[in-house]
Amino acid sequence: MPGDKKAGNKESNVKKGLSRRDFLVAGGTVAAVDALIASTPAKAATPSPPAAATTYPASEGYLVYDSKKCAGCTTCMLSCSLVHYGVQNLSRSRIQIIQDSFGKFPNDIQMAPCRQCKTPVCVQNCPVGAAFVDTENGNVRRIDSSKCIGCRTCLKMCPQQPHRTVWVVIDGKGKSSKCDLCLDTPYWNEKGGPGGKQACVETCPMKAIKFVAVMPEQKETEGYDVNLRNDHWLNLGLVDNSTVVPKMDLTWRILPGGEE
Amino acid sequence: MMKGGYTGKILRVNLTTKTIGTIDTAKYEEFGGGHGIGSAVFFDLVGDQLPFDAFDPRNCIIMMASPFSGTFMPGSGRCEVQGLGPMLYPIEWFGHSNFGGRFTAQLKFAGWDGIVVEGASDEPVWINIVNDKVKIESANGIWGMDTWDTQEEISRRVVPDLKYGEWAELAENCFTTQIPAVVCCGPAGENKSRLGALLHGPGSQAALCGFGGVFGSKKLKAISAIGTSDVPIADPKAFMDARLWYRRFQWDVDNPREAERFGTGGPYALISGRPSGGNTLNRDIPLTPARAAACASCPRGCRMRLATSDSNESVCGGTMTITVQGSTKFTRQGNDLMQKYGLGHWQLIPLMGYVQTLYRKGILGKGKQIDTDLPLDRNGTFGYADTLMRQIALREGIGNDLSEACARFAEKIGRYEEDVNSGELSLAYYGTANHYDPVIEAEWGFGSLLGERDLMLHMMSNYPIHWMAWSGDPYLTAEETAKLYTDAMEPYQGDPFMVDHSDGPTGIYSDSKVKQVAWIKHYEKFWVGAGGFCGWRWPMCITNNTADRRGPTPRAEEKFWNAVTGNNLTFADYMEIGHKIYTLDRSIWVLQGRHRDMEVYPDYIYDRPTRGHDMTMYIDGKWKYDTGAGRKLDRAKVEDFKTRFYKFEGYNHENGYPTRATLEKMNLGKVAAALEKKGRLG
Ligand code: SF4
Ligand code: SF4
Ligand code: SF4
Repeated sequence: MPGDKKAGNKESNVKKGLSRRDFLVAGGTVAAVDALIASTPAKAATPSPPAAATTYPASEGYLVYDSKKCAGCTTCMLSCSLVHYGVQNLSRSRIQIIQDSFGKFPNDIQMAPCRQCKTPVCVQNCPVGAAFVDTENGNVRRIDSSKCIGCRTCLKMCPQQPHRTVWVVIDGKGKSSKCDLCLDTPYWNEKGGPGGKQACVETCPMKAIKFVAVMPEQKETEGYDVNLRNDHWLNLGLVDNSTVVPKMDLTWRILPGGEE
Repeated sequence: MMKGGYTGKILRVNLTTKTIGTIDTAKYEEFGGGHGIGSAVFFDLVGDQLPFDAFDPRNCIIMMASPFSGTFMPGSGRCEVQGLGPMLYPIEWFGHSNFGGRFTAQLKFAGWDGIVVEGASDEPVWINIVNDKVKIESANGIWGMDTWDTQEEISRRVVPDLKYGEWAELAENCFTTQIPAVVCCGPAGENKSRLGALLHGPGSQAALCGFGGVFGSKKLKAISAIGTSDVPIADPKAFMDARLWYRRFQWDVDNPREAERFGTGGPYALISGRPSGGNTLNRDIPLTPARAAACASCPRGCRMRLATSDSNESVCGGTMTITVQGSTKFTRQGNDLMQKYGLGHWQLIPLMGYVQTLYRKGILGKGKQIDTDLPLDRNGTFGYADTLMRQIALREGIGNDLSEACARFAEKIGRYEEDVNSGELSLAYYGTANHYDPVIEAEWGFGSLLGERDLMLHMMSNYPIHWMAWSGDPYLTAEETAKLYTDAMEPYQGDPFMVDHSDGPTGIYSDSKVKQVAWIKHYEKFWVGAGGFCGWRWPMCITNNTADRRGPTPRAEEKFWNAVTGNNLTFADYMEIGHKIYTLDRSIWVLQGRHRDMEVYPDYIYDRPTRGHDMTMYIDGKWKYDTGAGRKLDRAKVEDFKTRFYKFEGYNHENGYPTRATLEKMNLGKVAAALEKKGRLG
């Protein structure tokens, strides 16, 4: 619960040039709210954060994914936007798929869903408790956008790159939001959350996103970006290592008169 | 009115006057979207001035999105480009070409249902669309670049502090992690090559019609779009339910049906919806590590992106135009070079073949009748391909004539009649190449001939049947195929002879075939054209991905369209809008000079006995797969077929012109007036 927070901020180790990922590794639970807020142009009043907790009950659900299996179709993003807001908009999606068509596999795609962190820095640092751990719903790390004051602290604090807090316009005002594992999906006939379904998982045609109940390894992306491919994938001729040989023959039978 | 799917406005840019305006989408809603609205806008803007040339500043480039663009409607990520096509022959017909990727999605997120470009700039420019901010920018430093560098440079100019993998705040509260979607011409287009393609990403090209050349004639290098706004959906819950329902028709990547049969690299790859099968250049062991790569919202992902990043996102012709013998690596790079020059592969293939034919005949070469320093004896090497493509793109040497594309090049050297009629230069439809066999897969031929260029719609009847039959292991008998296939062809369902490819009484000249060709044209115009569908995904009348082999067509189309737009029409209603769009297109061609006498094949297609191809045929009272080898097309029967087709569609059978009654019934009275003014009302 937001109110459970204890003082936890120690020092600033965030400075320009240090990536969010470096920060995650170096800092883990440590956040540098004051320094960051001070360096952020104020979009709204930024009251001091309430005392932050250092430990939180673990989320009962996580999204893991396979960034080598993803085809970049953005169906997951549009599903996320649709079930939460009733519209289609990549910018409203709580999972971001970033891709460079000219890039080299596997770096041409980066999948960026929320990690439901062990220590959710977004929750820890929200000055008004709009970001919270929903103890009534599987401890999902959530943001109540209606309580968000628009200070952007959680955008700065989420240690992931890109930050998994998502800035959306609601009633003309900029507010933060984040993955709620589909707990609150007014535009979907299914129940979400840890015991239910997740829109992105359900619609991904490559089955590149999976819901798991056990907290993944928190180090870097290892625990989250996992191999969800089986032999059928290999037999498409899609390998992540050129020493691997598919079981099936990939060549074409050449018959006379065949066009392509 | 306009509940969902549309943003409500079309961007209108005049490059002569440098003005930027808008057109209300609502005014054109009756045409659906995409190609339908594009044709109507074209007619309204310049219909009364036809005919004029494709490189005339009055020509427009129209790129319309559809109500589905920017949504997760499966396989709707294409962008339809329209305008007079300089590749087409003998008249530069009002044509269309389309490309996949993310362009229309970003256009919609930017708040636009489409873009219409008029006029011509006097200096190189590009159009910069960031949400509702639209600017005509100088292309200084970009003009002359290849299509890849152009896109990279423009992305940097659009979002100067763009960091891959980070959010960018385009304007206050407008965040995106996405890279701007850029479509551009290459050096070929800049030099008004009639082979000029439009490129988006490394390998998505609008290959037909020569719209790259039209960009060049307007001194328009590129259009970039990026946006962060909402695409409204009329019934979000129904749309989500429809998307989840559609999953049963997809290739199941973790557990595909009959994997042994469908999982190999063979012909089933093309029809099963299997990911990554479109890139033909990564099948040799050792494989290059790669992913399947999809256009926006496509559940198939027919393309690849590779660890070597060569042949990224190219498929089919984009990976098969250039062959460098003995080297997959250089073959990929040769095809990439074609993409960078911005040359349309589907015209480059016959052109390169023709150059070699002329060389072998001793007509073309150093010191020959057609003198060129091309290293013709080095065909099959990277150097030859590069030299040839460079000369075409830059109009150097012989390239200046070759850049006029196949038909006009042949005409220029005085060989058009002889070489096209003999099939030495295998053109078939208005300067575009022969493709699937019009003698057997007659709907492909008729669908092209009664259009303005090669049909290029692979999922239309012939294709799933063609490859299933060719595999030697068809998953349906010919009889089952005919029944299931035509069950889906509303409103003409229940007539299996629509897919009879025999030349018997129910075959390729029959009234059933008339219906099938009409179905194809209407589907092409509404679902593919107005809906922005991919021709490799839709329609899907049969599929191996379901137990009963039924595909999502026709239920999916209406389900999705109604959920998105809030309309409540049936598949058949929408097909009738397709009929209307086809009639409008046809009227525009008539204004340009189309007459039924022009709707004929070159001689070789009639006179050369075909090698045939396994297709569904009804012979001696039985359905079977048969090749029809040795068949010749009968001129009189083709003409008789056309007569019945025109009548079926409501056109005058003597000239093929739409009639007043047909046009007025379709609320196209002003089109009837325009035709009448020219004395060409049917
Ligand atoms: S938004 Fe960021 S900090 Fe918060 S739980 Fe998700 S990944 Fe962790
Ligand atoms: S689980 Fe739901 S809220 Fe989270 S990213 Fe997926 S669709 Fe969005
Ligand atoms: S839906 Fe799946 S394949 Fe498509 S972008 Fe999302 S994770 Fe990738």
